Amino acid sequence: MLQIPDVALAPMLPILIVLAGAIASTLLGFSLPRRALTVINLVMLLLSGVSMVTLWSGPGEAPLTAFGGSLQADNAALLLGLTILVGSAMTLLVSLDTAYRARVSFPEFDAMLMYSVTGTLLIAFSGDLITMLIGLEIMSLASYVLATLQDSRRAEESGLKYFLLGAVGSAILIYGIALVYGGAGSLNYAAIAAQTATLTPGNVGILIGGAVLLLAGFGFKVALAPFHQWTPDVYTGAPTSVSLFLSTVVKVAAFAGMLRVFSGALAAAPGWASTLQILIAATLIIGNAAALFQPNFKRMLAYSAVAHTGFLAMGLLGTPEVGGAALGYYLLIYTLMTAAALAVVAALQRSEEGMTINDLRGLYHRHPAYAAALAVCLASLAGLPPFAGFFGKYLVFQAAFQNGYVWLSVLAALASVAALVYYLRPAMLMFMPDRTPAREYPYGERTPTTFTVALGVVGVTVLGILPNLWYGWVAVPGVWGALAGR
Amino acid sequence: MIHLMIFLPLLGSLLLFAVPPRWREEVAGFFAALTLGIGLLIWRDGGSELFSIPWVPALGITYSVALDGVSLTLALVTAFMSLVAVLYAARRVSNPGTMLALVLAMETGLIGIFAARDLVLFYVFFEDALLPALLMLAIYGKPNRMRALVKFAAYTLFGSLLMLLSIIGVKYYGGSPTFALADLVQNPVTGPAQTWLYLGFLAAMAVKLPLWPMHAWLPDFHEQNHDSGVPDVMGTLYKVGGYGIFRFGLTLFPDASEQLRPILMGLAAFTALYAAWIAFRQTEWKRLLAYAGLSHMGFVGLGVFSLNETATIGAMYLLAFQNVYTGALFLSVGMLQERIGSLHTRVGGVMTQAGALGGLSMALWFASIAVPGLAGFIGEFSVLLGAFQVQPWITAVATLSAIAAAAYALTAFQTTFWQGRPLGAVRAWDVRGTEWLVLGLPLAVAVFFGVYSEPALNLIQPAVRGVLATLGGQ
Repeated sequence: MLQIPDVALAPMLPILIVLAGAIASTLLGFSLPRRALTVINLVMLLLSGVSMVTLWSGPGEAPLTAFGGSLQADNAALLLGLTILVGSAMTLLVSLDTAYRARVSFPEFDAMLMYSVTGTLLIAFSGDLITMLIGLEIMSLASYVLATLQDSRRAEESGLKYFLLGAVGSAILIYGIALVYGGAGSLNYAAIAAQTATLTPGNVGILIGGAVLLLAGFGFKVALAPFHQWTPDVYTGAPTSVSLFLSTVVKVAAFAGMLRVFSGALAAAPGWASTLQILIAATLIIGNAAALFQPNFKRMLAYSAVAHTGFLAMGLLGTPEVGGAALGYYLLIYTLMTAAALAVVAALQRSEEGMTINDLRGLYHRHPAYAAALAVCLASLAGLPPFAGFFGKYLVFQAAFQNGYVWLSVLAALASVAALVYYLRPAMLMFMPDRTPAREYPYGERTPTTFTVALGVVGVTVLGILPNLWYGWVAVPGVWGALAGR
Repeated sequence: MIHLMIFLPLLGSLLLFAVPPRWREEVAGFFAALTLGIGLLIWRDGGSELFSIPWVPALGITYSVALDGVSLTLALVTAFMSLVAVLYAARRVSNPGTMLALVLAMETGLIGIFAARDLVLFYVFFEDALLPALLMLAIYGKPNRMRALVKFAAYTLFGSLLMLLSIIGVKYYGGSPTFALADLVQNPVTGPAQTWLYLGFLAAMAVKLPLWPMHAWLPDFHEQNHDSGVPDVMGTLYKVGGYGIFRFGLTLFPDASEQLRPILMGLAAFTALYAAWIAFRQTEWKRLLAYAGLSHMGFVGLGVFSLNETATIGAMYLLAFQNVYTGALFLSVGMLQERIGSLHTRVGGVMTQAGALGGLSMALWFASIAVPGLAGFIGEFSVLLGAFQVQPWITAVATLSAIAAAAYALTAFQTTFWQGRPLGAVRAWDVRGTEWLVLGLPLAVAVFFGVYSEPALNLIQPAVRGVLATLGGQ
């Protein structure tokens, strides 16, 4: 008998709205100027956010699902989705000012960006490994194009590198999915979780293999060492607004996927956590050590993004309730501060190669507001209170510490000290007096970029002083316990 | 009231950017004076009770503050020295708006440190005091400040991040519902975990105290700071390690404190002697003062680590008033630099032209080297008296540094203020205008509390007894 597929539009609505924006950009690009498309897309992102808020399920309410649980709009998905939307909106706002200078100002840019966002949301809303994979591939393919879109050798090189390594990552990931399917007999998160809770000895090996391969595949996407090598080159080679997108939205989405898979489906599976802690340790050491020696500020921020991957991934080592809440908070903060810092770079750089750290000397005397904002972002990235980065770090430290990873927490604390040194140098240079001519683009201060920067700075300050405004939402009991669905 | 005292300076600091540059000095002075006034009102009312509301309920972080006893003493000293620093900076630093804002912002952090009765809140204020200190160094420092800055920040954060882990650990292993001190004391951590957590906590405090071998940032920090000495005053106030150990270390880790007592006392005594020895070799006033301060902090450490009532009272007394006279000495060095353009200790003959400056500096130095009748004496004497009962040999070593102090202070003073004025040297003018207040007020405080220690002891003594009572008595 023919079965009608379980298609429910309501839980898909946030994704569909974004997809509509992408399609509109593709089609209307022939007749409308790019700025108009960007504005349309911003509105779409806003509408998508509104639809997410309406989908919020109160205590005791079952979340809406579609395709028999393959797509689920539970609260975890909504919280991560909102974070993704914030990052995407910040990218679009910055691109309003800088896309023209970066020579990526055509409708395809917006279209690709929105397709990518569609993919990221699909990951966050995924209910089984296939949905997750489809989302990941949509996101990745669109990002490859974004990284290559600029007509320059550097962008092409970095885009190609991104594509090749990303493809390898995807292949490993798919292989891992196959093995997990072999081990657990299902692709659905809830079913995998149920299966791993009562493991039969025969399948354990396959399952562990699958979990570790999945970890490696995700490692490529979030830039966990030793799979991080593409990151600095791509983030530096791509136009800065694209780097902003890649280092925030794409990373948030990949972490959303990791949360679903590791804290949800494979939470009870053996093997991956001990591997992950080694990867985190390597990431913390390599990312922070490499960032110490970067003369280029944009490249330093790229390595800082790698280092932050290490901190963020510590959240996965906590129990889903504590670790998920920590990650849910940290990801938003990470998005706000990284996006704001890169927005300042995008506005003030003379070429897409970014600016050297020495170029920042005396910035406070030339662009006081941008300099102060950048200093706040760097302080937050370094984890200094009262900025929200402090609570982000605090939460993931706590999550890992309470789950028994004491030595990793100590290592992370030591790595933070190295991080402080490289965040501090540019932050302090900006306030020093300077008699040399300015080396930044003089007309970079424009309203949308300034708005983005202000959003980031206000965000990290307010959420740092009153963390409960966001943490109160992400820490609702039960949100992260049900990552795999019921 | 108490919240007003904590956050008023920060408010003033933010307001400074809004008022026209002409009025900045007056506004900053007004806010600093108002804060001190509120502090005195709190003192008159006998301190401020514990105030506690949840801050991040999901994490058990509370906003708990209280100002009484030791905290109130230190907060009052902070408010007082901030006012002095503002008075001096307004006159001495050209275009002082940013500097004044930073002084006020730092004052909030420092008073917050003393008021906090919640570990995470303490950590937050602890780090908040760091940012203005870094910015002062970055904006007003000397050419080699970048190295000093990175060193300072790296040391400080190295310690505080380990402390953060300890903070997480204390709550987790003790099973306390919140980070409020009262709750943590109810749910103590026991066994070896306590020792490890104490070591993590100590890492931060040893940097701030500072204790050998975590002191290396201190001389560079002072040397590279602005000539006026205003940032140094704030830096002097920043040595809150002794207070942190007293307030949180002893109450939360009583067994570990007793266990580690000989080692820590030895370290503190060594710090005192070693710093005094190095100070003797210094030819730059700021480095000399930095090492002198380090030596005093060794005494503070000796007192606190000894877990003896007399010694701990002495340590807190010393901590409070060391801020006053060392801070004033930094300002007097700043005045010296303004007059003769150098910080070298061998200028010679300044006394003949600037008698009042020499006299005031000498009196402050007497306070610093613990001449009886001045505030330094009561502190150092109590520390030695108490510590002697616990560890006579270690204390005997530390006592040597009191002699060394007289040696380095008087030698440097002699070569700068006495001897012959070199031919062709610029004429040094004497103390004038507000400078009288800037040096005179701290000196008056040092004399007053050196002769009549009752009011301060009344505040410190019960608090120390309360803390030490949790250790099972001495």
